[in-house]
Order: sequence, then structure tokens, then C-alpha cells
Amino acid sequence: MKEIYEYKEMIFSLVRRDLKGRYKNSILGFFWTFLNPLLQLLVYTFAFAVVMPMNIENYYMHLFVALVPWIFFASCLTGGARAVIDQQELVKKVYFPRHVLPIAFATSQFVNMLLTFVVVFVVLLISGIGIDLVKLCVFPLVAFIQYFLAMGVTLICSTISVYYRDMEQIFGILSIGLMYATPVVYSLESVPEEFRNALLLNPMTTIIVAYRDILFYKRMPDLQMLFITLLESLCILIIGWCIFAKMQKRFVEEF
Amino acid sequence: MDAIEEKEIAIQVKNVSKSFRMYFDKGHLLKEKVLFRNRNHFEMHEILNDVSFDIYKGESVGLIGKNGCGKSTALKLLTKIIYPDSGSIEVKGRVSSLLELGAGFHPDLSGRDNIYINASIFGLKRQEIDARIDEIIAFSELGEYINNPVRTYSSGMYMRLAFSVAINVEADILLVDEILAVGDAMFQTKCLNKIEEIKKNGTTIVLVSHSMDQIKMVCDRCIWINNKKISAIGDTADVVKKYLAYMGRGGMIETEEDGKAVVKNYKIESYTVEMFDVEDNDKTVWHTGEKVKIRIRFKYDTEIFANVRMEIVRLDGIKIYSEVFNNEGIGYLIRKDTCLELKIDSLNLLMGKFYFMLYLIDEKENVVGKIEPFAEIDVIDSVERQGMTYLSCRCSMEKTLENI
Repeated sequence: MKEIYEYKEMIFSLVRRDLKGRYKNSILGFFWTFLNPLLQLLVYTFAFAVVMPMNIENYYMHLFVALVPWIFFASCLTGGARAVIDQQELVKKVYFPRHVLPIAFATSQFVNMLLTFVVVFVVLLISGIGIDLVKLCVFPLVAFIQYFLAMGVTLICSTISVYYRDMEQIFGILSIGLMYATPVVYSLESVPEEFRNALLLNPMTTIIVAYRDILFYKRMPDLQMLFITLLESLCILIIGWCIFAKMQKRFVEEF
Repeated sequence: MDAIEEKEIAIQVKNVSKSFRMYFDKGHLLKEKVLFRNRNHFEMHEILNDVSFDIYKGESVGLIGKNGCGKSTALKLLTKIIYPDSGSIEVKGRVSSLLELGAGFHPDLSGRDNIYINASIFGLKRQEIDARIDEIIAFSELGEYINNPVRTYSSGMYMRLAFSVAINVEADILLVDEILAVGDAMFQTKCLNKIEEIKKNGTTIVLVSHSMDQIKMVCDRCIWINNKKISAIGDTADVVKKYLAYMGRGGMIETEEDGKAVVKNYKIESYTVEMFDVEDNDKTVWHTGEKVKIRIRFKYDTEIFANVRMEIVRLDGIKIYSEVFNNEGIGYLIRKDTCLELKIDSLNLLMGKFYFMLYLIDEKENVVGKIEPFAEIDVIDSVERQGMTYLSCRCSMEKTLENI
């Protein structure tokens, strides 16, 4: 842990490299990052507001505030699998605490999400829904809970895929499945009572619902549930951390 | 000896052993691991066995040994890129390695940005980099180019930048692996001078090299690793002398462990050889400078790890070329059914008849199998060139007023 703290500069510069490298030399650079959520927003809005109406007012906004954090989570699940493999040349040649790689990956995705949220805020203001500044105070809490969860997931995925290269495919399928097991395109209230508790086992459910409460409904999220989710997320983070720490010793020999 | 013992230990290696898993045919996918379980058999191949040594603060130590003896493995263990199976390694202080230059460079970012990334991978903090950046830029001689994206750099500029960062990290321990073989003579001299300077500043240096000249120039002490163990350790001149004497004898002093010499009777049986050119034509008549791919299939009565030596001998018995392939030190797994592939990028032989020989050499340098010769070829070339090998020469005339 202490050693990783000493390498914090490396985490920062990897994140900076990722973000800068992505946005430099293309005017559209910044736009590309938003294009993915915007296109998904368009597709799902068409499907669930026009073709199969959900009876939710301002459905696109209801979806938008959930889709942005979901994409963050999904990219950690699928892209996180490559966090170590893609840097194998570095891992083979230079010593540094290997945890740095998944941490930097999750962090860079996290920063990306926050940047996308700026767009969300702008749209909230334009659409007339507005922002409740008091409730917005809970936003950082929710964001950090999700950050811990995403980091744990990245640690696990990046470890597994060093040993089993084709797991990336499976993570892809898993993320699609999980998306429908999380109230992203629909609302939790529309889920039949008997399934609702099962859905709440998924930590992403509470997180998505909390984002939606804060930004869309402008109401206080269920803090008790959030606290449980925080514990769950920390658990996943610690498990991921330990698995990674145990398995990373043989990374170089597995490449 | 007493004087040395008072010194502070920088690196302590205690009873370290390391083996690698050698897979016969490794599957990387879950699918393969589940479906083809029998493909996942592996053999443990021991690289280092119960090795211990200390390196003191401020001294420079050379690691020598023949290819595949475990020098590079030892260096990787010191950097914690890989971990020992047993034993312990303690390293005190910041380690910088010249194993990988330009680690983490991003082509789209400027040289300056890349210095920050690269230096941070070596574990420097932001203030430390800030304090060094001017020195790094000055050493790299890049000047105003430092703010251009790295992708616009020539390979020489790239190397200079990367080297400047690695060397200016001001580590307590500097590990160098053969890096001095890269770059032109000017650059090598600059490297060596800088290493000399670093040495004077009290940095501990561990250098792996095949160049005994470099080792003698840089190192105070030397460790010779052979057959998974340390064969000799001590004053550079002594160890280098022993090592060279051993290498000259061609590995005749191996039998001390077993006590008795065991004669192996294994041999290569029923082989087939194909030699292809770029268009995959199997042929026996070649032109100078062609690309050659040789495929040799043979049967062997047991399974062993062996290095492969290829020799090319001219009709008159003169050995034109010989090279030992050791598969990065691990050797090749020779099995009941083996297929070896040799590639020659450019067949620089001149007109004549040549024989190709193949030898399998075990870890004790014994020849445990041979095909003499496995192929016999004729090379056709223009009559202007004569001698042993093609040396890509040019002749031109300086333009003066008379011959314009």
C-alpha cells in the first residue's frame, strides 16, 4: 500500500497520458468520448420512448443520468480486462507496483465519467429539470462508492484475463446481461415486487438509483442502502486487491 | 576481506532458486485450457539453484556467464519483475534499470510530457522530476524539439531522450543489461562516461554484459554464473580470467557433480529437411543474398532440453559460419518428433558448394545429437565476387571538376 502511494505520480501520469493522448491532435477528441453515450442514449430512447413507451416523463433524461455511470462501470468490466495485458511490454521490463495499472485505468475512466457528467448537467439545466444543489452534495459520495466498486472490478478482470485471454469476450457478454439486471433503461419501480430484492443484490442497482434520485428526481437517495453498497464495494475492492496481489507475481511468466 | 564486510549491503540475495514452467504447447484461452487439458503439461526448467551473494553499497558488479546461464533472470529477480520460488532478495534503495528505455512513451505527447511519464514509472515524484527536468533535457541534446510530439523524433533522438531519463533518475542502484551494445560508437562512449560518473557518485551498479572489456572497465567485482550456480565470485580480473579459460576449453569440466561420466547414446533418427525460399519453393541451388527457411523434422529417442547449433562448412572443409541458438536461455525441447525451423535472412555465401550441419547440445555442452550434413547446397553468384562471404560493398567516385 505504502509503495503504491509512493508511485502515485505514476498513476497520475498514466491517467494524464491516457486522457491527453485521447484528446490531443483531434478537434473531435473530446467529442468522441461523448459520442458513445450520446449514440446509446439515442438508440435506447428510440427503443423505450418511441417503440415501447415506458410511461416515464422526460425518459431521455431518466436514461441519461443512469447511462453515463453505467458506461463507466461497463468499460471497467470489459476494458479493464486489458489493463495489464496491454502494458505487458512495460510489465516485462520495468519494476513498479503492478496495482498501478488497473488503478490508473479505473481512474482514467472515472475522470472520463465526470467529464461526461458536465454534459449531463448542462442538459439538465437546458431541459428545465434543473439541479438541486443541496441534493448534489451526495453526488460525490455516490461517485466515490462507484469508483471503489469499479476499481475492484478492474483489478479482478485484469488479473483473470492474464491467465485466460478469452475472458474478455465473456466479460463483454456479462456486461450486456448486467445492464439489464440493473435499472438503467427502466426504473426500479416498474420491476415486480418479488424481483426487486434480487435486483438490489447488485451493487450497481443502488448506485444507479441514487444517481437518478439526486439528478432526475431531485430527492434524497436512500442513505442506508448506499451505506450497505459502500461496504459491498469495499469488499469487492479488497477481494480484487488481494487476488491481484497474489496473482501478479507470475504475470511476467504468463505473457 | 575485512574492509569489505564493514560496508553496507545494498543487495542481499539469499538461497534463491528459480524455475520456469516450460509448456509443451501452451494454451492461453479458457477454451483451450478446458478442452485440451493434456496440452497444458509442463516441465519445470531450473534456471538458478540456491544462489546467494551480497552486493555492497557503492560497488559495481558484473554478471557474466554463457548465454542462458541465468544472468538476465538474476537481473530480473533483482528488479522484482519476477519473483524467486524460494529464498529471499533484499534490495535497499531506489532501483533504476536500463533494461527498458522509453518505457511508457506516448507518441502523441511531447518529449517533455513523456519525460514525466517515463520518470514516474521509475518511481519519481513530481517535485523530483521538476528538479531534474532541465538536466534531463540538456543531456538529451534535444533543445527546442523537446516540445514536439515524440512521434516526430528520429530513432536517435528517441534513444537519447529515453537514455537521459533513465540515467538521470539518480537511483541508488542501477541495473544495466547489455544496453551498451545499442547505439553508435559516440553514444556508447557517452553511456560509458555517464556510467563512470554515476559510479563516482556512489551509485551501486550491476552490469550484465558479454563484453569482457566493458566489464573490466566498469566493474570492481564480478559474479560468474554457470549451471544454475555461482562458479566464481570476486575480483573482476580473476573471475574474467577463469571464465575465459572455461569458455576456451569448450565445457570439458562438467562431470564433477555426477562423479562418473555418463555416455548418452541418444541420437537423431530418420530426418527430413526442406529448404524454402521466399516463394516457398523447395530447392538446392541458391543465389547469394536470398532468404532461406529451413525445416528439419527428425525423431529422437528421448525428451531433453538442448541448444541447437547450426554450422555451414564449405566444400574445402572451411567453417564459414556457426551459431548456437539457445531459445533465450531455455533451450529447445527436443522430443520424439521434433520440427525445427531455421531462418537465414540473407544467404551471404559466395559461389560454391556448402554443407549445413546441425548439432544438439545439452546443458553440459555435450553434443547429444547431430546431422552431418543435413543439407548440401550450391550457391550461384556473379564472378565479380570471390572469397568467403558477401560484404555488401560499394564503390563510387568523388565528383571533381575533371570527371563531371
